[in-house]
Amino acid sequence: MSVKPSDSATGMPAIDSTGLAGDVRQRTVRETAGRERREKLLLFLRNGQGMFGLILILLFFASAIFAPWLAPYDPNQLDIPVRLSGPSWDHLAGTDQLGRDTFSRVLYGGRVALKVAAIGVSVSLLIGVALGMLAGYGPQWLDNLMLLAFDTVRAFPTIVLALATVALTGPSLGMVLAIIIVTLIPQYARMARTSTLAIRSTEFIVAERSLGANTFRILHRHVMPNVIGPLLILAAMDVPVVVTIEAGLSFLGLGVLPPTASWGTILNEGYLAIRDTPSLVIAGGIPLVLTTLGFTFFGEALRDIFDPRLRKGR
Amino acid sequence: MENQIEVRGLTLDFRTPRGRVQALRDVSFSVPKNQIVGIVGESGSGKSTALWSILGLLPSNAEVRGGEILFGDRNLLQLGEEQLRAVRGEQVSVVFQDPMTSQIPVLTYGQQMLDILYRRPNLPIAEKRKMAVDMMRRVGIPDAERRIDQYPHHFSGGMRQRAGIAMALLMTPMLLLADEPTTALDVTMEAQIIHLLRALQQELHATVIVVSHNLGLVAELCDEVVIMYAGEIVERGDVRQIFYNAQHPYTRALLECDPARVLKRSRHLPVIPGEVPDLTAPPRACVFSPRCSRVMDVCRRTKPPDYEKSNGQIARCYLLSEEHGDPDWPPRSDVITVYRGGPSRGGAVPRGDALDLPNSTAVSAGDVATPLLEVSNLCVRFRIAGALAARLRGIQDPHVDAVLNASLTLNPGETLGLVGESGSGKTTLGHAILNLVKAPSGSVRFDGVEVLNMAESKFKPLRRDMAMMFQDPAGSLSPRQSIRALITEPFDIHGIQGRDKDHEAERLCGLVRFPRAFLSRYPHELSGGQARRVGVARALALRPKLIIADEPTAGLDVSVQGEILNLMSELQQRHRLGYIIITHNLPVVRHISDKLAIMYLGRIVEQGDCDAIFTEPAHPYTEALVRGVPRPDPEHRRTLVSIEGEIPSLARRPKGCDFHTRCPYAQDRCRTEEPVERPLSDGRRVLCHFPLFE
Repeated sequence: MSVKPSDSATGMPAIDSTGLAGDVRQRTVRETAGRERREKLLLFLRNGQGMFGLILILLFFASAIFAPWLAPYDPNQLDIPVRLSGPSWDHLAGTDQLGRDTFSRVLYGGRVALKVAAIGVSVSLLIGVALGMLAGYGPQWLDNLMLLAFDTVRAFPTIVLALATVALTGPSLGMVLAIIIVTLIPQYARMARTSTLAIRSTEFIVAERSLGANTFRILHRHVMPNVIGPLLILAAMDVPVVVTIEAGLSFLGLGVLPPTASWGTILNEGYLAIRDTPSLVIAGGIPLVLTTLGFTFFGEALRDIFDPRLRKGR
Repeated sequence: MENQIEVRGLTLDFRTPRGRVQALRDVSFSVPKNQIVGIVGESGSGKSTALWSILGLLPSNAEVRGGEILFGDRNLLQLGEEQLRAVRGEQVSVVFQDPMTSQIPVLTYGQQMLDILYRRPNLPIAEKRKMAVDMMRRVGIPDAERRIDQYPHHFSGGMRQRAGIAMALLMTPMLLLADEPTTALDVTMEAQIIHLLRALQQELHATVIVVSHNLGLVAELCDEVVIMYAGEIVERGDVRQIFYNAQHPYTRALLECDPARVLKRSRHLPVIPGEVPDLTAPPRACVFSPRCSRVMDVCRRTKPPDYEKSNGQIARCYLLSEEHGDPDWPPRSDVITVYRGGPSRGGAVPRGDALDLPNSTAVSAGDVATPLLEVSNLCVRFRIAGALAARLRGIQDPHVDAVLNASLTLNPGETLGLVGESGSGKTTLGHAILNLVKAPSGSVRFDGVEVLNMAESKFKPLRRDMAMMFQDPAGSLSPRQSIRALITEPFDIHGIQGRDKDHEAERLCGLVRFPRAFLSRYPHELSGGQARRVGVARALALRPKLIIADEPTAGLDVSVQGEILNLMSELQQRHRLGYIIITHNLPVVRHISDKLAIMYLGRIVEQGDCDAIFTEPAHPYTEALVRGVPRPDPEHRRTLVSIEGEIPSLARRPKGCDFHTRCPYAQDRCRTEEPVERPLSDGRRVLCHFPLFE
């Protein structure tokens, strides 16, 4: 006895060869394509932590960008009589040892921090991932060569590297950026390389090769999305690190030159006056903490969404 | 007969973000003492969940809603963790599916086994060790005294599973649970392990529960069988009753779908249409009714009760009831009750299409003269150590020959089955043909053009004509890409412009019967069968002439296997595709291949017409493979294991004939002289000094 199943029983939509329902189908396909993007956005919106992080980041961005309009004072305007005063209605976060308004300086310091963080992290991430994937996917000799280079750079303490370069070129914000990028690249590259090595021999990469995909396509479309997730979290969490490097270098006189305000210099000045005016340290520290928190939460939320496999479990 | 363990009304849910998955619903069965009971079902049937709930080893999101598991006078479900631990290992122990991952890699077997014996504090260490060695010897590990001090990685797969069984039996448990004990092993190993389990069970009077999807294993091993479907037991009874006189339509369908039981060679394997129901909302009525060929109105309304026959066989189906029953059910065993795949399938592919598609008529008779693919004397070598490391470790030749002097011919529209155990080089051969690994010597001619080691830039256009399907259905799909992107990727890669990609995606979906609504899903969200269909769609996207399919049925359930294979042969007919099917699954390959090539240690030891090889194997290895497949027939259990031992390491290729170390017919000449390939009277070619057929 042979039984002819109806298509509804197979759980699959009937397929007609006539194409009568063609445009209806077309629409559903396009709709589902849009659905993927909307779904990702929705997932992010539903992620409370991620949203909180995003709000903090947006605050950081807004305060940095709109600093000239938000700041009640010129950040470099001296007012010696009220130096090292605590918070008051005139000076929301007090003043520093030259009587400059700390709140205004924090806002302007955010601009330096944003510039350094955004450029430093994104450029080093870009270069680092590209180099790392090449090292992991390319021939053995290239891998060895790159590893040697990465490890050499990593062996240098950042400060020593900075001292050496600044001695040659003189301090500037550009110098700070260059140093940050050089020190961050090996970190990203090594991580990208390790993940690439794990992926390169998986069956789906061989499958792509069998279809004729070239190296660029494989790296760009199939390796990168699988490598980038953890790197994004790392990068997000590196933002505050970069801000501190900038602060540290500025303190040593190797970075941002006075009188330009940066969170690092505010913190360091506050550190000198911590017994008299703790408000200075607090004012310099809070934005740093909030930025760290914001980028960390944001980074983790990004990872969850980038990796479809993590979705089900949450 | 006294019961060793009795499961009554077990109901269990998994809490998931999608809702409660009602994985087990009112599951009851009992296991008599000194018997082997098999739990059979497809993936998602709850068979493993039922097994693991006995030991309370369930994932943390599992929640037992009701029922009891009576072991002796205790209800295992009510024991605390402490008391359960006392039961585990001591009274109930487990043989795991994958001996590669279930054994501790940093401890020797001796240490692991002494650890198991910690519950015998009064026993001196020497005594414990003696027990361990004795048990290792019992499971057939040669030189046990010495090998017990080795680590798991020193053991090969089959030996590890033997050691796993030894560890499970060390405490002489009252009940042994075996979860797919041979799934991770090769055919020849499987036969050995089945034999071993059977012998040990009789020797130790153990009670065993085996969970498997492999009907052959169950038929060879078990006394009683429990058939599960979608979280319910649909039928249970004596193994002979189940295999010869199945009462439930699902059992019947499952048996008919097993390619090993389809005696007549057929390109159209039987299938069970449809998919397992979503267990977050299981049907109120009969669970099998949506897929059942004998469904009645009453089946869709209410759940059938268990009907017990006079011989103790129990089935949950209205066909056995007095009111709705069919006196002619079940039909004789040679009557097919399930749908048999074929071009006439429910309007999905109109029959006319199958015969006169432009693609098939375009190939004229003259083309047949040039074979589609001609491989001659192909060799692939892999480096196993660097030049320096090899010198330091005293390795003469730091290479292994993964493929040695392989020659094949494939004509358009033909299917060649490439068969061998793992490590035989069959996948490497496939990769070499597709220019995915470099080959130092030999020749591969595709459509008359030499393509071996061609530069990728020149080879790329040819990739449109040669496609590959990979072993792991989901693992061969890039995980971060949507199915739509994956299906249309071949067009992007080959820069094919001017086509509506969405339209192409739909065309391919239609071709492989993949639900269009799933195009926006990601690979991990698909079932094995669906992921496999995507693999087929990708392979077919550019209308290739040759498809190399690596284990196309691996990881698929019996009922889905048939669908994929039918689909493949249907597409072959329509497009005159040449197939190379790489597999170790002989029952499947018998149905779909025209020619067979048997590989052993990188060499093709026998090749020729498929039927001839199956009826009269000429090479002793082929004979072992053909006879080694477990027969899903409890009346014809094999009494002896066809070949002993395991496939040697490529780095230590035996002198003379590669197979002489395991060959039951080996003679002196085999140990010294390499055989030369020679033709047989019926056109087959064989690599043996003393073929079993001239």
